[in-house]
Amino acid sequence: MPILIRRGWEIPEARVTPEHLVFGRRKAMLAGAGLLAAPAMASAQEAAPLRAMRNTRYVPGRDITGEREATTFNNYYEFGSDKGISRPAQRLPQRPWTVKVEGMVETPREFGIEDLLRTMPLEERVYRLRCVEAWSMVVPWTGFPISALLEVVKPLASARYVVFETAAIPAVMPGLRQSWYPWPYIEGCTVAEAANDLSFLVVGAYGKLLPPQNGGPIRFHQPWKYGFKAGKSIVRITLTDRRPVSFWEQIQASEYGFWANVNPEVAHPRWSQASERVLGTNARIPTQLFNGYGEFVAGLYTGLQNERLWA
Amino acid sequence: MPWRDRTGAFSPFKAVVFAALFLPALLLAEAAWTATLGPKPWQAATHDSGTWAIRLLLLSLAITPARQILRQARIAELRRMIGVACFAYVMLHLVIYAGDLAFDWLKVASEILRRIYLTIGFVALLGLAALAATSTDGAVQRLGGPGWRRLHRLAYPIAALALVHFTLQSKADVTEPMLMAGLFAWLMGYRLVAPQGGAPSLPVLLALAVAAAAATAGIEFAWYALATGINPWRVLEANLDVTFGLRPALWVGIAGLGAAALRALPRRRTARRPAEA
Ligand code: HEM
Repeated sequence: MPILIRRGWEIPEARVTPEHLVFGRRKAMLAGAGLLAAPAMASAQEAAPLRAMRNTRYVPGRDITGEREATTFNNYYEFGSDKGISRPAQRLPQRPWTVKVEGMVETPREFGIEDLLRTMPLEERVYRLRCVEAWSMVVPWTGFPISALLEVVKPLASARYVVFETAAIPAVMPGLRQSWYPWPYIEGCTVAEAANDLSFLVVGAYGKLLPPQNGGPIRFHQPWKYGFKAGKSIVRITLTDRRPVSFWEQIQASEYGFWANVNPEVAHPRWSQASERVLGTNARIPTQLFNGYGEFVAGLYTGLQNERLWA
Repeated sequence: MPWRDRTGAFSPFKAVVFAALFLPALLLAEAAWTATLGPKPWQAATHDSGTWAIRLLLLSLAITPARQILRQARIAELRRMIGVACFAYVMLHLVIYAGDLAFDWLKVASEILRRIYLTIGFVALLGLAALAATSTDGAVQRLGGPGWRRLHRLAYPIAALALVHFTLQSKADVTEPMLMAGLFAWLMGYRLVAPQGGAPSLPVLLALAVAAAAATAGIEFAWYALATGINPWRVLEANLDVTFGLRPALWVGIAGLGAAALRALPRRRTARRPAEA
């Protein structure tokens, strides 16, 4: 007899926001190609559409956060240490943009963002994002699994970590003048974690190009980890055998560790992680282990019990 | 009544300040009502009310220096209402925080016990409650002048606790709490150097401005050195770089110089209230 166990994050179909953005793969490619032809984009606020088929494997289980909330409440220290940086972030030029992929790979390469938009298997995924500050949102990202990119450059067997480096452009990022922070913003994960299908390079949100305040033109997201693990506006991806010390880990190792997997039972030194505020609503809901993605990722951590996996 | 002076007459000066003390709360209520507090309104309101509480606390400590430097005895009449208003904002702060936890008071209590920065804030709140409760005319009489003054010197350690609470709750950027801590250092320094009953001389106030600025830089250095992985020397160096806006030490220095400048203003010959003690 088949037994149906509803996982914590699953909800009746009716509550999921209707799929208004489901288009064919070819359209996604056309949109990408159109970008290429388009003259320099006037304003990132009027981001060009970027459509892709929604991946229905990962169900958010919650309403999608309003686009306005998700694009005006952002942590991006390069632009300032409060959340209202969406306006100054518009000064970050989104084109031309290249991402170097180098280090322990067979074929190091520099990718233009348009090449990625054109050649990578774009899809839309609706992910929950849990910030270490005990708030969360649900965002329809457009992007591709990083494994697709790594297939192109072929990591060497000796590579163990993937390191993401955020752009650091003093002319447009006033926060960099706070010279005591360990710029550039560095984040990383293991190669095994990156190989997980959930590990997603994001180039769009809400059916449009990813706005700079959310990490445009390209950012990373591993939804089972706290949000700070997701590097924004990435310019370099390095494969290495040495564990990186991330930006936040350098600043406050006791609060922001390397693994930073979501766990409601392991409190941040200053607040409980048991529950989270859902951005743009009045709801405070229980936080789930691995942010509810345990069935896809828990296996990555067998044998790592001695690591500080949770914060 | 907060709008009457000691003789019981209506005081427009006090009435205006009294009304102004409600303004931040009204603006906060309006922002809440019109849903302009952002996507995390409870937390935004917690921050707003806390910020006003600490501002009013420091303002109440600035009353004596202001009175002495400006030679305006009337300013002293404001101290009680500012102090009580500070307590009111702290209570509002606590209630809003409880609201953020869906008014689960058990949860509030357990968080206060478990998070050291909240415990510290709570101790400060208790202290402010004691000061507010002994702020009625009757209480002042019962305690007697010296006893009341001794008790109300608690305002200094309470402010220090509140500043620790403020600093600990910050993420990495402690600019604002350091600014407040620097102003507090000036206020404490003032009490060290002020002669009985009057303002220090201009040279002393100038020296105080420099010392308070240096103390601010020192506290900031110590914080980054002890509590973070950030290189404190880089922070110290940044005091010389004004491209990102002024660092707290510079603001404190400017405020101190401003106080000295006010002291240097020529004394007004025609004392309006010759009888004032
Ligand atoms: C039971 C007592 C108190 C509780 C439970 C409490 C709680 C909090 C909380 C939860 C925060 C925000 C932390 C965050 O967002 O991560 C905060 C911030 C703050 N609190 Fe309190 N607090 C208390 C007492 C006080 C007192 C007595 C003062 C000052 C007189 C104060 C001043 C502040 C300030 C200035 C901030 C930071 C505001 C900002 O950064 O904008 N708090 N408090």
